[in-house]
Amino acid sequence: MIGVAPPAYDPAAPESATTLPVGSPATVRAYVRELVRRHRRPFAVLMVVNAIGVTASMVGPYLLGTVIQDLSEGADDIPLGRTVALFTVALAVQTFFVRLVRLRGAMLGEQMLADLREDFLVRSVRLPPGVLERAGTGDLLSRITTDIDRLANAMREAVPQLSIGVVWAALLLGALGVTAPPLALAVLVALPVLLTGCRWYYRRAPRAYRSEAAGYAAVAAALAETVDAGRTVEAHGLGARRVALSERRVREWTAWERYTLWLRTILFPTVNISNMLIVGSVLILGGVFVLQDWITVGQLTTGALLAQMLFEPVGLILRWYDELQVAQVSLARLVGVREIEPDAGEHALAPDGRDMRADRVRFGYHEGADVLHGVSLDVPPGTRLALVGPSGAGKSTLGRLLAGIYGPRTGEVTLGGAELSRMPAERVRAHVALVNQEHHVFVGSLRDNLLLARTDAGDTELWAALGAVGADGWARALDDGLDSEVGSGGHQVTPAQAQQIALARLVLADPHTLVLDEATSLLDPRAARHLERSLAQVLEGRTVVAIAHRLHTAHDADVIAVIEDGRISELGSHDALVGNDGAYAALWRSWHG
Amino acid sequence: MLIRDLPYADPGVPDVRSGPRLLLWLGRRQLRGQAKSLAWGTLHMASVASIPVAVGLAVQAVVDRSGERLALAATLLALIGVGATVGDTMLHRTAVSNWITAAARVQQLLARRTSALGATLTQRVAAGEVVAVSTGDIEKIGWCVESVSRFSAGVLVALCVCAGLIAYEPELGLLVAAGLLLLIAVVLPMLPRATRRADLQREKAGRATELAADTVAGLRVLRGIGGEELFLERYRGASQEVRRAAVRTARMWALIEAVQVALPGLLLIAVVWHGTGLAMDGRISVGELTTVYGAVTFLLFPLRLVQEFAMAYSFSRPSAARAARVLGLRRAVEGRGDRGAALVDPVAGDLHDPVAGLLAPAGRLTAVVCGDPDEAGRLAARLGGHDAGVEDGESSGDGDGGGGNGGGGGDGAAVVRGSGAGTGRAGRGGTDAPDTARPAPPSVLLGGVPLDDVTLARARAAVLVQDKDPVLLSGTLRELLDVPASGRVPAHEALAAAQCGDVLDALRQGTPGLDGDPLEARVTERGRSLSGGQRQRLALARSLVTDPPVLVLDEPTSAVDSHTEARIADALRRVRAGRTTVVLTSSPLLLDHADHVVLVRDGRVAASGSHRELLGADPRYRAVVTRETDDELAEGTTHA
Repeated sequence: MIGVAPPAYDPAAPESATTLPVGSPATVRAYVRELVRRHRRPFAVLMVVNAIGVTASMVGPYLLGTVIQDLSEGADDIPLGRTVALFTVALAVQTFFVRLVRLRGAMLGEQMLADLREDFLVRSVRLPPGVLERAGTGDLLSRITTDIDRLANAMREAVPQLSIGVVWAALLLGALGVTAPPLALAVLVALPVLLTGCRWYYRRAPRAYRSEAAGYAAVAAALAETVDAGRTVEAHGLGARRVALSERRVREWTAWERYTLWLRTILFPTVNISNMLIVGSVLILGGVFVLQDWITVGQLTTGALLAQMLFEPVGLILRWYDELQVAQVSLARLVGVREIEPDAGEHALAPDGRDMRADRVRFGYHEGADVLHGVSLDVPPGTRLALVGPSGAGKSTLGRLLAGIYGPRTGEVTLGGAELSRMPAERVRAHVALVNQEHHVFVGSLRDNLLLARTDAGDTELWAALGAVGADGWARALDDGLDSEVGSGGHQVTPAQAQQIALARLVLADPHTLVLDEATSLLDPRAARHLERSLAQVLEGRTVVAIAHRLHTAHDADVIAVIEDGRISELGSHDALVGNDGAYAALWRSWHG
Repeated sequence: MLIRDLPYADPGVPDVRSGPRLLLWLGRRQLRGQAKSLAWGTLHMASVASIPVAVGLAVQAVVDRSGERLALAATLLALIGVGATVGDTMLHRTAVSNWITAAARVQQLLARRTSALGATLTQRVAAGEVVAVSTGDIEKIGWCVESVSRFSAGVLVALCVCAGLIAYEPELGLLVAAGLLLLIAVVLPMLPRATRRADLQREKAGRATELAADTVAGLRVLRGIGGEELFLERYRGASQEVRRAAVRTARMWALIEAVQVALPGLLLIAVVWHGTGLAMDGRISVGELTTVYGAVTFLLFPLRLVQEFAMAYSFSRPSAARAARVLGLRRAVEGRGDRGAALVDPVAGDLHDPVAGLLAPAGRLTAVVCGDPDEAGRLAARLGGHDAGVEDGESSGDGDGGGGNGGGGGDGAAVVRGSGAGTGRAGRGGTDAPDTARPAPPSVLLGGVPLDDVTLARARAAVLVQDKDPVLLSGTLRELLDVPASGRVPAHEALAAAQCGDVLDALRQGTPGLDGDPLEARVTERGRSLSGGQRQRLALARSLVTDPPVLVLDEPTSAVDSHTEARIADALRRVRAGRTTVVLTSSPLLLDHADHVVLVRDGRVAASGSHRELLGADPRYRAVVTRETDDELAEGTTHA
């Protein structure tokens, strides 16, 4: 069999739903245009510098051609000194400008790459909370790590190098035309071969390289997972299966390597033959032209040397065009975030009072599948409301609606008479905060981790906030106090301390209403007990909606709402519900003995 | 080895005594591939080196106005073209094959080592190192091993060209050879600086990526509370630092490139100068002058290969050292435990921990309440046997290895660096020391047999310990539940018992193109798309499917709501009927379903009985499970 068919299994095919949009070709093009426009001055400088360098590099072949011409005519007085002097000057210019081109190219490329990654993060932090909550951060995370990595080379090198290559090749062809017009035509002989081969290759290459890269990443991912799950792998005796999985990943990856190698088995001869055709046709056709006295020996020599110099820019163009093709997908994924409408919100809308009310709220994540079926609820200021009920009943969804993250499909959720979901996120969070199980501690100083809640807070306020949640003890014991590095790589805070940091942020942000989505459930029960005291400090004087997995949380609440199947089935105080002898009462008895 | 035959049936036993030895070992595994690559490389470069000869012939033919010799030059050029094309293509194929086979071999070796290390890998630096080797180092190792043959071919052809020039025109040849040596002498010392800068740049880029990833990971917090600008500024700072570092690297490369233009250029000028003189004296022909000019230009090509090899080696040395270190990791307890003991009937034996004085009767559901969650974790790990305690690895040996493994802390089995090739001296040193310093605590007994005396695999098969943070492996739900099992509990029964109905719905929604069968739904890595409670329930379902003779669960439902927990407690009893189960928990809903409950304090059993008995009789117990504060306790039982 000649040739290799692309492998059936494509590791680049999405396995989980892409939750955020991927940029359309039009968006990508518009973005690239904008990027180039932003840097048009350095771009122009690069092109000029490049042109000077290339021109200087052509002096050598030209001088040699002249010398050969003189020699072949048997001239006695060859101005050797002048030739050498000219050659040296040209070399000095070329050296200087080659360095400049390389440097300027890198500077331009790095600036563009920096713009790209910063633009992406700027866009990401403006995403509406509802989009984030629904999409999760996994997709974004893979975009900012994997896709930026893949783009790095393309951005920093491909765009400048490709332009350099094009200018370079054009100048060489131009010089060839100036030296001896017929020779420039001889080069064209190679063009059909080059174009046919490249067309075949570029039709297949981008997809194949994407799959190959994904396949290689999958090899590493399988191993990383085995490491991460070491205990589980050992406990369940999965060692042999993990080895088998790794080997399957190696097979899938190498199958794509084999395919791309086959693609290059076509591309390489294409390029080589084109190169040889260029030199051959210039040399042989040119030789015939000399014999016909259409051009001179000197012109032929110069032409042949210039033709050889074409190899390099042609290689440059092919290589970076390839890279750019592969990078396009990553670029589309990065730029795709721009297609999400940042949430506008009505800035005029402001709550009047702290009364929270849900009125006949219906809501679902998917069309035709409501999670909440007409929930109405009234939470007067300062109330502690507990939502209890089985998993999947809609407790967390209701919590998110009350925190203004989602807007109801029908009905409305209002704070002080103003509809929460129509307010901008920045306005909502001044009043209501959602606290969930995610107690992210950012890489950086403890100060930065607290400042995010109130950027103008002074050290005294930060310490006061830490004190309020009972975290000042361990925080003061840190080597550098507020400047201590925490998060991964820095001081490892315990889950309980992470939670205290999250609570201290709330103290600083000071919203009057809190929605707690079982904030302590992932912690050890003992640690949770201790934290509940910190939490009690924070809750003091605020309206609290607590989604409770543990009944003791419910017991302490003013009002308990039992949610079943997206409806409120029981509503009242702990004592009232126990007295009712319904589902809550049964559970309570089993819990408390 | 052809790419299509990968993966290797057996990747072999690597030489892990040092990085360079590992590189050498890898190279020797693929001698055939290296030889092929060398041969094709030589053909390719020899062909390219001959182009100037054809050009010179053609020019001379034209000067002499000989159409016949021009045709000869054309034929020669065509032959060279074939040689260059075939050589280049085949060189590329063989070189890439060498790279891939070397990389695949190391990946396979890593996978095997990782599986053998199992739980011991989750500690300390070892885990990070394995991942670093797999993601970054292997590429460099493969590159270095592969580039040897290309480098050799380049040097070989360059030497031939120089020799040819010297033989043909000694003055010119010596001039060119001296110029080349000078060029190498100038450029090579610049490379380490450039690679150092590149390393620094990569490090900064890694840090910026980490910051970005960290910001995105905490984005919900930022959007919920504020501080976006603060973190954007921070990232901008890091991003600009990467840019500056990259430009600094580029400065070095730009300089190297300029030197590579200037020095050969000077050589060319000298050749033209001297050669024109020779030509004017009639000692060489016009065509020959053109050939010499072309040959000097060609010599830049092998020069780049020398440079590439130097870079590949300097980049890959730390990588190879790390790979050797990781592949040399050994379990501290490897080999221990194989004392010929056998478990007769693990289902019928009581599980007894002499250290805590804990007895879990066969076939019963025992619940253990620990005041301290860390103590619970330690107890759970010990119940599984083969728990090596803290063992520091070898403190001697290669200097950079010690830092990673030294220092105490952590519990469970430790990792020891030993040498792979079976010398084992270092490895034994690592295991001996703790044995003599502190006798190992007595082993847990199952049916009277110490678990530590049974092979690791048998011990793990008899007692399954599900720790507090069980990891869900990615793949379909079917794959997740496809674990070595007794076959007694079908997947759907286990899923139902662990109350996974809503998990199935969530997974189904997250998987595109899924028709019907929820077992085909995909679980993402670590089950990140699921909530903590959903993850716990899936992990529980997996343990139930396994149906081991003894199942130890550490806080299996801490993130599950009370409604669901009550149902799980009920189902757990049913599914585990006739099997030994130990649940470490403080949840009354689970405790209420246990056959008997044990309270452990300060590492020893302090009380035992039924949940209700203990609740009434033991105030310490009551404090742990009902979470009443001391004040409430003082007030007496208010909610009875």
